[in-house]
Amino acid sequence: MTTDTDELTPPAGPGAPEPAAPERRSWFAGRGRLLESAMLPLAFVALIAGFGIDSPHQFLTLANFSNIFGSQAVLFVLTMALLVPLTNGDLDLSVGALSGLVSMVVAVLNVNDGLPVVWCILIGLAVGVLCGVINGVIIVRFDVNPFIITLATGTVFGGIQEWLSKEQTIVGVSTKLSEWTFTKEIFSIPIEFYYGIVIMLIMWYVLTFTTFGQRALFVGQSREVARLSGFRVNRMRFQGFAIAGFVAAISGVLYVGTTGSASAGTGANLLLPAYAAAFLGLTTIQPGRFNAIGAGISVYFLATGVSGLEILGAQDYVQSLFYGVVLVIAVVLSRLVARRRVSAGL
Amino acid sequence: MSATVQRAAPPPDRAGAPSLEARGLAKRFGPQLALAGVDLTIAAGEVVALLGENGSGKSTLVKILAGYHVPEPGGELLMGGTPVPLPVPLEGFREIGLAFVFQDLGLAHGLTVIENLFVAHRVRGGRQGPARPIRWRTERRAARTVFERYRVDLDPDAVVGELRPTAQALLAIVRAAEDLREFRAGAQSGGVLVLDEPTVFLPESEKGFLFDLVRRVAADGTGVLFVSHDMTAVREIGHRAVVLRDGRKVGDVRMSDTTDAELVQLVSGHRLRTAERQPSSSPTQEAAARASDEDVALAAEGVAGGRLRDISLTMHVGEIVGVAGLLGSGSEDLPYALFGALPGARGTLRCAGWSGELDELTPERAQQLGLALVPGDRKQQGAVPALSVEKNMLSLVLGRYVRRGVLSHGAIHRTAVERCDTYDVRPPKPAADLAALSGGNQQKVVLARWLELEPRVLLLHEPTQGVDVATRAEIYELMRARCARGVAILWVSTDFDELAKICDRILLCAGGVITGSVPGPPFTRDRITSEVYATAARSGPRQVGTG
Repeated sequence: MTTDTDELTPPAGPGAPEPAAPERRSWFAGRGRLLESAMLPLAFVALIAGFGIDSPHQFLTLANFSNIFGSQAVLFVLTMALLVPLTNGDLDLSVGALSGLVSMVVAVLNVNDGLPVVWCILIGLAVGVLCGVINGVIIVRFDVNPFIITLATGTVFGGIQEWLSKEQTIVGVSTKLSEWTFTKEIFSIPIEFYYGIVIMLIMWYVLTFTTFGQRALFVGQSREVARLSGFRVNRMRFQGFAIAGFVAAISGVLYVGTTGSASAGTGANLLLPAYAAAFLGLTTIQPGRFNAIGAGISVYFLATGVSGLEILGAQDYVQSLFYGVVLVIAVVLSRLVARRRVSAGL
Repeated sequence: MSATVQRAAPPPDRAGAPSLEARGLAKRFGPQLALAGVDLTIAAGEVVALLGENGSGKSTLVKILAGYHVPEPGGELLMGGTPVPLPVPLEGFREIGLAFVFQDLGLAHGLTVIENLFVAHRVRGGRQGPARPIRWRTERRAARTVFERYRVDLDPDAVVGELRPTAQALLAIVRAAEDLREFRAGAQSGGVLVLDEPTVFLPESEKGFLFDLVRRVAADGTGVLFVSHDMTAVREIGHRAVVLRDGRKVGDVRMSDTTDAELVQLVSGHRLRTAERQPSSSPTQEAAARASDEDVALAAEGVAGGRLRDISLTMHVGEIVGVAGLLGSGSEDLPYALFGALPGARGTLRCAGWSGELDELTPERAQQLGLALVPGDRKQQGAVPALSVEKNMLSLVLGRYVRRGVLSHGAIHRTAVERCDTYDVRPPKPAADLAALSGGNQQKVVLARWLELEPRVLLLHEPTQGVDVATRAEIYELMRARCARGVAILWVSTDFDELAKICDRILLCAGGVITGSVPGPPFTRDRITSEVYATAARSGPRQVGTG
């Protein structure tokens, strides 16, 4: 509790007001904000136009777009899993491995143990929530840094995944699951795409239109303000990790449906693209906030970029380069957006 | 660097020059003159106490010396007889022979004593040069030599955060003194050590160690500027006292020629007539006597924890109760303890038909009881600068704006527009980030945030800190209006002028207990100041919690 007025803090003597930020929220600034929100969607359109002009016959095809939109559902849902912890100011690095672990649980139970696939899914989701709960309990109960704890638990989840797999790819998962995720199509796009959209809308609702989401903003920005406001900071952070576990588990189930299999090491490689999308989403729609729609658009923006580059003849490694570079740019950009907002008095 | 210049050619006529001589230092904040041309001289080896109540200009003076404030043109500063250009360059005070120990000591708690002690070497590359490896054995030996020189018993390998507060303070002072020694490096004397409220959080029984150290440092030829509210400490080690009041020097006296009462009078400008003091009835009795009263808004008994030892108080409906105390007196912990926000607080609370132990009280529960806390540290505890005005303002009552499971941002915005008008928040743009508002307007938002809950009891901690004069008046008005509607307000402030203006009753706090009350109303700032200093001096050895 800083109670002193005699420190090297802004002078507290009589008549020492803090400087008011210059008021210059003009017509332009108002438009600027709108423009800022629309920046990524515009870049998205420009990207499609660019690749389209370059190679219209490969890029501007229904098959290509069906591929882009259909192939990203796992990553899309995984990105949504990050949003509640991120809004709470917590980094969860375990969601990738958690998703992989769930996919392995589903596949092993179905293929090796012959359990009906519905049960496999339910157990898989329960495992996901349990993993999230474990994260939350450790972090909140012992007040330890979530970054390092989830890095560790993520490694543990990956280890269990490998152990369950007995170092083999598990194939032959019930086609019912693939049917309800990948094979069924609406407008030539696999049905799992629409699952992703539904989850995105739910996330958007939770973060923007519930008191929970709005309180989470305070928890993320200042634990101390949230605590003195009587918000249950610990409980909310705990819930964030549990929700992340559940949503990541859904992405694991979708993975099994999409590939009909599970193998060691999957999931973890999606962690970085998911963060790239979440941070890129920070710059759009609701700039400065982790928001579901921005993150969702970002996932497809990134996928379109990768797809276009591949059509131009880029090798596989381009994907890593692209996602990595975008994450750096997105984080820097979101920082600049935040600074500009303050100085412009938005 | 002027240090090198000085060393190369010590001007003979300056051998007897004072270590520090400042003339006509002034500082203006907007229309307010915070420091109105102050002279200050510190001789080599002299300990000068700088006294004055909050807002008297002490900290402004110190901040000018530290290079944090740019003084008004016309001031002069001479170090060891050599003129130094003003303003002092930021972080450049070392080069002119100044060292500072602020109340927070500036130590890295997770690092060891050695690492903290020699941090200055790391900055400049040190004697070994930046690329040379650090020889820890040599460093350890050097540290021991330093500690022996000042006869301070510190383990070089101890982690600073695990040391007692007194040991930490000693380390910080030794480090600053060493900086000055290095600055001198060969010259006989020079350099001034500025200690800003170093004793506030130290237990009385251990302050002696600190005084011994300061005397030893002064004996080396270092001038010491000792900024403090602590009369006993000032008496103990000061040779001379310089007293500021309203930005002017009102006294420059030899300690041996001055009585306590004279010092207090200089600080407060008010002669303390002992006959006028009415020791109030014991607070516990008072609480008991009024326990049956219908109009008790809050009653607390035996509140302890943090720097609080045993506080009992009763607040009545529609009353503004001020708590006046010096920094470290415990008053600063009281609002947080009553709100269930001070870890380890004990005692009982009766409020709104609820009665229970403070350790069971959470901020959430306190809110339900109709309590509201406006913390002193607006940026860290009061509000979130990076979120919008409307979010900050209405975040405690979001539930009201949920329509069929959906939070209506439109309704929030409309309410916030109305509130901006009611509380005169300017600019009235609720969608703007709070950070874009001035301090005064931010504070109005913080107050509005809590008033939204229609609290029965408001706990205020320094509610006008960093707020301009006009906004202060508005805040007083607002609080009086709430009071008229039956809200009880606890007003903890070190701004005694403010307490005099606003309070119905003023309690004195020292050493973690309520020591009495200020006679009145009417109150005057001078009166409160002299009472506070007198009670702080009388409260004797303080058993201040050091955890």
